[in-house]
Amino acid sequence: MPSTHDVGGASGFGPIVREGGEPAFHHEWEARVFVLNRRLLELGFYNLDEFRFAIERLPPERYLGSTYYEKWFLAIEWLLAEKGVLP
Amino acid sequence: MARFAPGDRVRTRAANPQGHTRLPRYLCNRTGTIEAVHGIYPLPDERALGMALESCTKEALYTVIFEGGEVWRERAIEPLSVSADLWESYLAAERA
Amino acid sequence: MSDLDDHDHDHGGHEESASMASRVGALVAKLESKGVLSEAELDRAVEVFLEGTGQAGGPALVAHAWVDPAFRARLLANANAALDELGIDMTHWVNVKLRAVENTERVHNIIVCTLCSCYPVALLGPSPTWYKSLPYRSRVVREPRAVLAEFGLKLDPQIEVRVWDSTAELRYVVIPRRPEGTDGLAEADLAALVTRDALIGTAVCAAP
Repeated sequence: MPSTHDVGGASGFGPIVREGGEPAFHHEWEARVFVLNRRLLELGFYNLDEFRFAIERLPPERYLGSTYYEKWFLAIEWLLAEKGVLP
Repeated sequence: MARFAPGDRVRTRAANPQGHTRLPRYLCNRTGTIEAVHGIYPLPDERALGMALESCTKEALYTVIFEGGEVWRERAIEPLSVSADLWESYLAAERA
Repeated sequence: MSDLDDHDHDHGGHEESASMASRVGALVAKLESKGVLSEAELDRAVEVFLEGTGQAGGPALVAHAWVDPAFRARLLANANAALDELGIDMTHWVNVKLRAVENTERVHNIIVCTLCSCYPVALLGPSPTWYKSLPYRSRVVREPRAVLAEFGLKLDPQIEVRVWDSTAELRYVVIPRRPEGTDGLAEADLAALVTRDALIGTAVCAAP
């Protein structure tokens, strides 16, 4: 079971890159993913721990190579398929 | 009924089992001190499997403080402590 | 899962963004066709959320704690009750416990979530990208002073740095120290000195 997400103390990730005055979301789609997740949680399609676990189980290269909200989107898609809501 | 109280010394489990958990690897097999007791919470390890709130295990949740030198197994150059919020089953009583 | 393009840029170039926008749109459309939710309701929720993100709950909390020692004590003992006392909207705090940790002349606090990105969104709005990044999550628990130096903050070597790893449903906020030379300031002016980074612990507050 990959534990790519469990990074406390890991080395090699380099300097912290900061963007001054960054907006809450860089793209409209990110804001949609944020509220979509909140809504699906409220509706009870999955719980927060299932959501986190889904992100943790992304293949390592996908976890490391995706942006934050891309990971959210992949987890949501995966969970909805698992739960039979999709296709 | 919470097993531990503030001031108690505890040791985290040696390794994480397969599956979702909230004990970070860097805090496995470490001794720390209970700093706060937070009441009973559903165990995320089970909730992550889709288990319902009504039927999943619920345990006491604690804030545990670890000294930097204990966590990183190095003599701390400058004072550091790390805290984490951990469920009771992640912890065991530490004698010494 | 279908493939994503590789990219170095943290937020994707124009093509990746357009591609994600269309994938999200397609998912929303499917959910709408199944009667799960509507696109209109979702877009309204985005608007409502963005309107709410200018809230100054964090700075107000700190400024009040600076001027009122009894409130500070109540805040440290029970932050949810203190938020409620200040009239802050508690809608999103129902299942979440906030804990305020105070910086002193001996202790400097910093918040992280090494496992994912837990953060007091209901108080501070969405977290900055750096907070959710692998460099921050991995390094701040091991070498917080080096991390703080990157933020331009140098701490006295005798100060204990305490890093709070948010591993459960507690959310943390730092009460930074009140800067010297601010005695005459009104509470609203004090609140203006409290930056988001100071509430996370990667900055301190300065007098105007």
